[in-house]
Amino acid sequence: MTLPATGLPERFAAYELGAAYDEMFTPEMRPRAHYQTLYESLLELPPEEMRRRQEAADLSFLNQGITFTVYGRDEGTERIFPFDLLPRIITHAEWDTVERGLTQRITALNLFLKDLYHHGKILSDGVVPRELIYTCKHFRRDMRGLQVRRDIYVSVAGIDLIRTPDGSFAVLEDNLRVPSGVSYMLVNRQVIMRVFPHLFRNYGVRPIDHYSQALLATLRALAPDNHPDPNIVVLTPGVYNSAYFEHAFLARQMGLELVEGRDLLLHDNVVYMRTTAGLKRVDVIYRRIDDDFVDPLAFRPDSMLGVAGLFNAYRAGNVALANAIGTGVADDKAMYAYVPKIIKYYLGEDAILQNVDTYLCGDDSQRAYVLANLDKMVVKPVGESGGYGMLIGPHSTRKQQEEFRHLISATPRNYIAQPTVQLSCAPCSVDGSVEPRHIDLRPYVLHSAERTTIVPGGLTRVALTKGSLVVNSSQGGGSKDTWVLFDPRDRIDGETSRRSFL
Amino acid sequence: MHYTIRHITRFHYTHPVSESLTEARMQPITDANQRCLNFELSTSPEARIMSYRDHLGNIVHNFDIPGHHSKLTITAKALVDVQDPAPLPDSLPISAWKELDSIVSRDDFYEILVPSPFTQATPLLAEFTRELAVGRDDDPLTLLHRINSGIFQRFDYAPQTTRVDSPIDDALRARKGVCQDFSHIMIALVRQVGIPCRYVSGYLFHRTEDHDRSAADSSHAWVEALLPGIGWVGFDPTNNLVAGGRHIRVAVGCDYADVPPTRGVFKGQAKSELSVAVSVLPSTEPAPTQMNYSPILSIGSHGAEPDWASEEFAQQIQQQQ
Repeated sequence: MTLPATGLPERFAAYELGAAYDEMFTPEMRPRAHYQTLYESLLELPPEEMRRRQEAADLSFLNQGITFTVYGRDEGTERIFPFDLLPRIITHAEWDTVERGLTQRITALNLFLKDLYHHGKILSDGVVPRELIYTCKHFRRDMRGLQVRRDIYVSVAGIDLIRTPDGSFAVLEDNLRVPSGVSYMLVNRQVIMRVFPHLFRNYGVRPIDHYSQALLATLRALAPDNHPDPNIVVLTPGVYNSAYFEHAFLARQMGLELVEGRDLLLHDNVVYMRTTAGLKRVDVIYRRIDDDFVDPLAFRPDSMLGVAGLFNAYRAGNVALANAIGTGVADDKAMYAYVPKIIKYYLGEDAILQNVDTYLCGDDSQRAYVLANLDKMVVKPVGESGGYGMLIGPHSTRKQQEEFRHLISATPRNYIAQPTVQLSCAPCSVDGSVEPRHIDLRPYVLHSAERTTIVPGGLTRVALTKGSLVVNSSQGGGSKDTWVLFDPRDRIDGETSRRSFL
Repeated sequence: MHYTIRHITRFHYTHPVSESLTEARMQPITDANQRCLNFELSTSPEARIMSYRDHLGNIVHNFDIPGHHSKLTITAKALVDVQDPAPLPDSLPISAWKELDSIVSRDDFYEILVPSPFTQATPLLAEFTRELAVGRDDDPLTLLHRINSGIFQRFDYAPQTTRVDSPIDDALRARKGVCQDFSHIMIALVRQVGIPCRYVSGYLFHRTEDHDRSAADSSHAWVEALLPGIGWVGFDPTNNLVAGGRHIRVAVGCDYADVPPTRGVFKGQAKSELSVAVSVLPSTEPAPTQMNYSPILSIGSHGAEPDWASEEFAQQIQQQQ
């Protein structure tokens, strides 16, 4: 179907292109080649049918109990994670760049952590200021000199990417502590395969359902050498945690025990799990608890979530943790500004994925610039995640700006600022019609000594409110399925063989 | 000189507790001026004692007692050989500051150059800094001597007036305290002028003829500062001493929080009561027939099962005096 040069079909009447890169349409409002099939399907799909499928999808989430908790609101209770019906599509070539870029980044960040917690060469060489490390609240001095299994600090990362107006992917932030959301990626796929079975089958979408097995392999690789059957557990803070659904989901998919701190016990520097058949030794812990709470003896004495003495068992090499303690120093938002230099330092390569311009408020001249342009910038606290405590300059009030002026001046090191980046837009189903909404992408990176595995795609998060740039689920964002397409050449081969088989 | 040290720590719980985990920093350091020839740590109830070297280089012993218990006794015995350090020069040239700055820029002294939890800069500290005229007008060694004696002269030694977790302001306000407070104040002052300075936990061998202010049957604390061309030099502001052959070093850190003699957690709804006895004697003397225990002190850590109750910082009695 060719598009008339003037105007769009009624289905897309509300679709306006802004300054942002649009995933589906060229600036001339022509569908991009890889969106053509979806575009045509949408033209054929009556609005009431689209609504019906959206309802079917929502019901599916509700029935599966896929909910999360929004903190900091009065009604802060469990909600369904909003799901947008229309898939976000990424070409093979685009994904190839993303995959190489993420692999490069995680490799460098892991080397950075090893260096920081041993000789600190990058600090002596003056590439990263020592002060930035020591003033980072996620830097764990107790980790210095501690040997982590196979030198793997980051086993699981979630790296947030955005697409800039020129169409290239850039990194917005690294999440190297306990990134969440991967269960939504997996469930979104299951749901869309039911809602759009034909479209999905014909599109040549690369599978993602091997994620759990890849995660299990990554965890197994941390087990003591030659251990035939390591006991791996998933450690959750408990049912009140916003990501509890995910902890249970992943444990079930991997066939592992889901435990809380009180289910574990430490004796003679070995971690045991209490079972009905007595104590069972634990070899690897996929922990979804923050560093601070992991061991009340070593870290926060008021923590009730962790296992007292766990850090001693860890230090003794009797248990492995994924991720390691202290990885947060490398995803600090001020450290982020140094990642291109970190990549260059350890790998001798230029960063494949660019950073977004970042101003460090700890630097006098950069801070002055930020304070003079608060209405145009996004200000973020360096140690937070989940979109909490941010100022979105263009959408802020005078009062909010003054508040941040005060906060930044009080503790400059704790804030960074970035120009307001126009996240790309993708078509979303809005009450039977199709409208653009801003999106980002969080691919999940699994890193072990042998390999780095990134299942194609990730979680595409959507700012459901029209014009909003905040995609965080904790701030009311939603998500959609992400389709990374097979290499067209492979696909032809695949289809040929399938046809001949039939 | 060879010393025999006995350090007994007794916990009594008002109700049985379980799954207690304890870490002890009690083994004297072995380095150029001091050699720990023998160290034994035993517990009752018995436990398997493990050890590791922490990120500051201190030897830490750790153990756990899983079953229910109402008492815990930790007995540490050490045989240590301490040498007198080489005598200090009377003063250093003023150019020593430059040398110091160059050493500091080359190596990583960051943590012992900035305020740590117990050595925060406060308005009272700023006032005291002015009172002692702490600055770079003197050479570094002369300045350290002045600070050391300045604290000694201006503060009364008064046990029980501050707590193990007191901020320096308490002592600065009252102009009295114990060795832990004086050490924290000295550290805060010394770091301000850019001299790396750390907290030392240890023991002082008291002879009657010395008239030391600090308590004899107790652990002790002082500071060490880094001087160019000399190395680490110990200053004991409680007793107006340069640390020498009577100072037995056990652990070093940014401040007390890094080096408590014991810290631990347990499960159970109980208060713990703690008493400590320390003796430091020349190894030629026989073991004391009786140890002098500190008065029993009730420390308010009680947790509702299955919460962890923490003994850290609640251990008033472990305040270093």
